[in-house]
Amino acid sequence: MPLDFNFTEEQEHLRRTIREFAEKFITPRVFEIEQKERIPNEIIREMARLGLFGVSIPEEYGGLYLDPITAGVIVEELARADLSCSTPVLYLVHTAWSYIAQKYGRKEFKEEILPLAAEGKLWIGIATTEPGAGSDLRSITTIAKKEGDEYVVNGEKAFISGVREALEQFEMGGGHLTLVKTAPEKGHRGMTMMFIPIRSPGIAIKYEKGWGRKGVSWASYKLDNVRVPEKYVIGNEGRGFYIAMEGFDYARALIATVCCAVAKRALELTMDYIKQRKVFGIPLAKFEGIQFPLAEHWARIEAAQLLAYKALWALKMEREGKMSRFEVSKIAAEAKMIAVLTAIRAIDDAMRWFGAFGYTEECPLTLAIKAVKSYEWAEGATDIMKIIVAREILGREFLPYR
Amino acid sequence: MNIIVLVKPVPDPKAPVRLKPDGTIDREKVPLTVNLYDKHAVEAAVRIKEKYGGKVIAISMAPPHAIEVLREALAMGVDDAILLSDKRLAGSDTLATSYALSQAIRKIGDFDLILCGMESTDGNTGHVGPEVAEFLGIPHVTYVERIEIRDRHVIVKRLVEGGYEILKVKLPALLTITNTANEPRIPTIRDVLKARRKTIIVWNVDDIGVDPNKVGLRGSPTRILKIEKVILKRKGKIFTEPDVDKVIESFLAELKKDGVSLVR
Amino acid sequence: MNGKIFVFIETREGSIVDSSLEVLGKARLLADKADFNVGALLLGYNIRHLAKELICRGADVVHLVDDKRLEKYTALPYTKAIVKIVQNEKPDILILAATTTGRDLGPRIAARLRTGITADCTDLDIGDYVDPLTGKKFRNVLYQIRPAFGGEIMATIVTPRHRPQMATVRPGLFSIPPKDESRSGDVREWTIEFTDFETQSIEVLESKREQRKVDLKSAKIIVSGGRGAGPKGFELIKELAKILGGEVGASRAAVEAGWISYDHQVGLTGQTVKPEIYIACGISGAIQHIVGMKDSRIIIAINKDPNAPIFKIADYGIVGDLFVILPKLIERLKSQKP
Repeated sequence: MPLDFNFTEEQEHLRRTIREFAEKFITPRVFEIEQKERIPNEIIREMARLGLFGVSIPEEYGGLYLDPITAGVIVEELARADLSCSTPVLYLVHTAWSYIAQKYGRKEFKEEILPLAAEGKLWIGIATTEPGAGSDLRSITTIAKKEGDEYVVNGEKAFISGVREALEQFEMGGGHLTLVKTAPEKGHRGMTMMFIPIRSPGIAIKYEKGWGRKGVSWASYKLDNVRVPEKYVIGNEGRGFYIAMEGFDYARALIATVCCAVAKRALELTMDYIKQRKVFGIPLAKFEGIQFPLAEHWARIEAAQLLAYKALWALKMEREGKMSRFEVSKIAAEAKMIAVLTAIRAIDDAMRWFGAFGYTEECPLTLAIKAVKSYEWAEGATDIMKIIVAREILGREFLPYR
Repeated sequence: MNIIVLVKPVPDPKAPVRLKPDGTIDREKVPLTVNLYDKHAVEAAVRIKEKYGGKVIAISMAPPHAIEVLREALAMGVDDAILLSDKRLAGSDTLATSYALSQAIRKIGDFDLILCGMESTDGNTGHVGPEVAEFLGIPHVTYVERIEIRDRHVIVKRLVEGGYEILKVKLPALLTITNTANEPRIPTIRDVLKARRKTIIVWNVDDIGVDPNKVGLRGSPTRILKIEKVILKRKGKIFTEPDVDKVIESFLAELKKDGVSLVR
Repeated sequence: MNGKIFVFIETREGSIVDSSLEVLGKARLLADKADFNVGALLLGYNIRHLAKELICRGADVVHLVDDKRLEKYTALPYTKAIVKIVQNEKPDILILAATTTGRDLGPRIAARLRTGITADCTDLDIGDYVDPLTGKKFRNVLYQIRPAFGGEIMATIVTPRHRPQMATVRPGLFSIPPKDESRSGDVREWTIEFTDFETQSIEVLESKREQRKVDLKSAKIIVSGGRGAGPKGFELIKELAKILGGEVGASRAAVEAGWISYDHQVGLTGQTVKPEIYIACGISGAIQHIVGMKDSRIIIAINKDPNAPIFKIADYGIVGDLFVILPKLIERLKSQKP
């Protein structure tokens, strides 16, 4: 395959624009975001103005419909500026799942919801996890029973991002693409995905307190006879599991990009410090004991970054009909797996080189490692990534369980 | 209102300056960006257009690879962009540059207002604005912070030492804009994508009826006798310890070591 | 005699602006070095009484245009008048102070005369130039010396063939020449024809300038506050200045916020200073401010943003909150005082 590691002029121009925005609006407030556990409305409004919430939405609904690689360039700049990862997460979750919404949603749903989503007036997230089921989605117990032209949903979702944001910070609210069982006896072929607005009656919310990424809310909620109109079903009954997997691939590719950008930025900040900080009269940067691991981390992150871009590229190929679902899932899983591992190790060492300061709450690297560690389980646990890759490269017959 | 904005692509101020072995400035490898002060001029022009209607045209005199810089102006809301580029223009000082730009402006045709930044971050002369005004035979005012459009004139607030002046200027006129005038907008993704699809017109010396003897090195009265890289004499000893007492001790100790005494 | 050096003299409210005198002084030094004659261009309304002072300060000839239409500076009539005089007198050199007026007027004159002009020179000299292409030697040309590329480069520029050789000179760097009452010179008055276009295109409606009460120029130590200071910060800054026996300076942002009066402003539209020690507190280091204090012998910066541009031109700096650093520093310095 002829390889070109350059981005297009258009992507570079967008990169510069987003960088200017992020450095000006987000970076000065990162600690505030983490402390107040909230992204300021001004930032969300500016993100909306720039068009960041319309990245996956087709132009006919007022969106920009950018390709996944360009979407990745944007998230990279957000991550570079916001080491707490709150703003990148707000962007990437909406970007990945509004993509799914526009691909599989019914016409009435699209006409109603997508234009609002594109303008940044409505936020779309994902709700699959339950108290008893995270990696093993087949074991979810949230049931949706059809009653006329509505579904009645009962169950519980846990550790869902964006609940408070959808409730309070987006003008027209928001909701989550929610995985439910419409035919429990059929196993994973009996699962359906439906858009459930967070303001629906019957939802009782309890907020969780995360260790990091505090700028984006985290909540669990019970669904008690929540009524969801038929038009909000995404795709068909029974296809929910597969649609969820497809959305996860996009999210994972973006997450991989985020982890690498954060790790790179963390190393850059560390390099500024070690060039200047002296120990025994010599700058830390001169010691090979620091240079060697630094070089290794840098090279590994570059490799992880390329894999992340490959995953985004694979998604682009899939849109053009040039790559299969399985191939894309494999690459996305590889990318997320490697990016998270590599980033955590790099930031861990970098923090160590800061000495005591690296342990203080004023050091941005503490935000970075907390954020990146959340991806050991979020949107696909690392071990599941390994299962996916092994399955693809060894063959399905080697799966120990289904 | 038809407004022309003079935009200068300059080396990114954040990148270090490189000298070639012969002592002249290596302009080849440095990334280019819109002169910061011209961004304020573009913003001012676009705001006037948004309020009163009309058209904004940006024009740059620069080497061919600077064409991308004009796209930044387009993304900010400029309607058309023109690049004046020609090998024969290389080495032009402010007089030659102003002459060439004024010829290009004559070719553009009618205009009400010409805006440009109060100076550039590489040359820092601030001369091109007044010189272009002279070549075009129109009045000019420098260091303008605020513009109010009236019928056939503008009312401007000009910054001077110790305060300001309010002036009434008949149109057409040229104004140089201060960086305190406004906050240049960050374009939306849609603006950037639209800007990429626009065609930037490229003119050379023949297109605009410029006498080659009046531009380039030949047309420039000034010559550089010599350039010396200034050895950054600043010590750059910055103390960053989080503990206040410690950082002050380190700081004072360093001053003492260098023989600097604060208290006399 | 090798030629004439003309100096543009700016006046305000009946007296000569300091920076013009600085340039006049420099012109006198160059003239004495290389045998030139110094002419002063005095334009305005009811300003003829200033001619004597100019002669005492070093001018050999004062070219006077006293006209109601020149009462306030605007580009077109001033350019017309000076160009007429220059075309008649043919000076070799014409220099102006790089004030907002000088930087507005100088290039317009240069363009009309189709000559070269260098902006904001930090030094001037007279010397020879050899054209590298033709080998032709030019004697006694004006060396126009100035920094470029944000101060990383020092360039010496010449205008070998075109006349007059023009330059604007950075205010605050040269000394004001003493008054020598024994000096004599000529005063030549000129009458200029102005068109309506020239006198009516630009009209000054209002002009507000504040007089300076504080002399930062002779201060040896200046402690300056910026946007990060606030009124409470300035109290600390004043205290520090007091302990160090220095003056208080400010960035434009601080003055505009009303925390301190304009007399303390340092920068492009404030004063240019070059004290022994300049301590910038809560000042980010925007170029308009740096331009006013760059030549301080020692620059110290205190700012809580480690990426603030001021740290790039500082000799010493502390990254920290000035509200925390200054009180401790003041305490420490108090204990040091004998």
